[in-house]
Amino acid sequence: MPPLLKFLIHRLLFAAVSLILITFVLYAGSNIMPPEARAALYMSNSKRELTEEQRQRLIDVIIQSHRLEDPLVVQYVSWLGTLTSGSWGYSPVLHENVLPSLLRRTPVTLELALYSLLLMVPLGFSSGLIAGWWPHRTFDKFFRSLAYVATSTPPFILSIIMLSVFYVSLGWFLPGRLDTLTSIEVSRDPFVQYTGMLTVDSLLNGRPDIFLTYLRHLTMPIFTLSLFHWATLGRVTRVTVMAEKSKAYLMAARARGVSSRKLLWHHAARAILAPSLTTIGLAAANIVTGIFVVEIIFDLNGVSEVIVLAMRDIPDAAATMGFAVYSVVMVLGLMVGIDLLQAFLDPRVREEVMRA
Amino acid sequence: MRQYLRRFYARRANVYGLILVLGFILVAVAAPVLSPLDEKDPGPYKQIGRFTDMEPHPPSRKSPLGTLPGQLDIYHSIVWGTHNAIQFGLLVTLTAFLFGVVYGAFSGYLGGAANNFLIRLADVFLVIPVIVATVMIRQLIGYVINLAGGVYYFDMQLRQMVADFTNVPSSYVVLLTRIDPLLISLVLLTWMPYARVTNTLVVTLRQSEFIQASRALGGGSFWVVFRHLIPNCISPTLVLAARDVGSAVIMQATFTFIGLAGNSPWGALLSFGRDWIIAPGGNILKYWWLFLPPTIVVILFGVAWNMLGDGINDLLDPRI
Repeated sequence: MPPLLKFLIHRLLFAAVSLILITFVLYAGSNIMPPEARAALYMSNSKRELTEEQRQRLIDVIIQSHRLEDPLVVQYVSWLGTLTSGSWGYSPVLHENVLPSLLRRTPVTLELALYSLLLMVPLGFSSGLIAGWWPHRTFDKFFRSLAYVATSTPPFILSIIMLSVFYVSLGWFLPGRLDTLTSIEVSRDPFVQYTGMLTVDSLLNGRPDIFLTYLRHLTMPIFTLSLFHWATLGRVTRVTVMAEKSKAYLMAARARGVSSRKLLWHHAARAILAPSLTTIGLAAANIVTGIFVVEIIFDLNGVSEVIVLAMRDIPDAAATMGFAVYSVVMVLGLMVGIDLLQAFLDPRVREEVMRA
Repeated sequence: MRQYLRRFYARRANVYGLILVLGFILVAVAAPVLSPLDEKDPGPYKQIGRFTDMEPHPPSRKSPLGTLPGQLDIYHSIVWGTHNAIQFGLLVTLTAFLFGVVYGAFSGYLGGAANNFLIRLADVFLVIPVIVATVMIRQLIGYVINLAGGVYYFDMQLRQMVADFTNVPSSYVVLLTRIDPLLISLVLLTWMPYARVTNTLVVTLRQSEFIQASRALGGGSFWVVFRHLIPNCISPTLVLAARDVGSAVIMQATFTFIGLAGNSPWGALLSFGRDWIIAPGGNILKYWWLFLPPTIVVILFGVAWNMLGDGINDLLDPRI
């Protein structure tokens, strides 16, 4: 078996075991209540006005048909079965099934995460490289103080500042996903939603005006999301470059008369890229798990909207559970992807993992 | 000891961090003196004018940092917010710290396959997003309160979790309503680094001679772990702990601001004044006192504990 495939199987197995463990804990947590109380959650609101006797009979029927009195493990396995078959339960708050409502909101979240990464990785990497290659110069000092400010400003405070400056005062960027008129236009006929990601769709439909409008809505959240991780990645890269600078192969190249600039971009950068993937992977996982703050403050109807709605009135078990499973799957998938990319680029990592 | 302290004092930021942290603790302890509670309605928010007056007033002699819409004193909330932040941060961090260190030490002491399994189990927690854990915990508490005949929800006006009962609940249930769901979820999601760091150290230490000697003299596993192993590996985790205090409080303020859980008065201040700052027609320069005091305090709190963490690192790390 090729080592990369073996590595992939190894990572997937670990992810699957983690997934089962987490979902079991979550499921057990939401199943602490006695069966009668849980059966009551299956009843719609209109049926709550029954007489006590009818209600009792109905609860018995629900307990029978949903097998709520089985041992926890049996219930869990059958729940996993329904989960993999795609029925994630009906959410009374969202008035629809949980899985489609999560999937419908995914493109926005995906766009946010993707563009933040695309902004943060090249900028963070290159500014860290420059700062570390010529330390204590003007750029390095500038970078370090900016990074310090960036890492010590909590995202929600950054969002307030951005909203007050760029939305209220200057009016350049807007919160929310789209204004009403454009969102109607987007949902109507001549506009085809190929991917659900409006940045892509608007260009495919030949509507650069919608693309630009949408960009005005996306700029602030993306900036907020990427700033912190830009600083972290830059700092780590800076330290790595400073350590790498004194390595023998760079000195040899320097002795051969390679210019300092070429040395940095052609030799050092390549050697550092693979190890900094760990930091990038961590940043990606942090962006995905922390995206809810930005989605809620900037009023973007991404995946987190499900949990916000589910928490607003009566607790909605199906939506909460669905959201939990969905986000855990997303994070696990992301981690496997990053690990795989890293193993693909860096054979040292592959061997290390195989030995462990 | 003196040379350790010299390393600490060598960097100015460490000293600033220490002073700031001590200052925050002082304010937290002295809160009843700095801003006495309202006797009729004790809590982090104090009414100092007519509550129908929805226009926020700038700082005056009566309210040193101005008032919120509805005439709530900002100074009072900042002071009692510090009280809450220190309490919350230390509680979360200490619990996570104790659990993590003991977990990591015992798992390392067991060694072999058991250790491997326990550390993998800790890794699993890294995958759970904080919002998922918080919401699940909130729902669990909600179920229990439902069973006791109450309703549990996040009050958007008060900016905190509230439980309403139709009957008089038992004291256990009342205790449960006092616990911030975020506190539990943050403890659940921050103990792993302590366990990992302690574990690595314990695994290297446990074959060393003084451990073997202690065991040969008849020391049981509890004795060996608590008397010898943990004291010898605790110092690196202190750096983590100092930083965690700051980030726990920032997380609490974030959750309060977006209105999901968390009882942070600092976050609540920002969300009360929100419409005067960032809604259409708002003005951050005109109503600066709604924004600046809580922002400065939240950022300073995070920075202070981070600096202290760096300082402890300098203190303990012999390589510098």
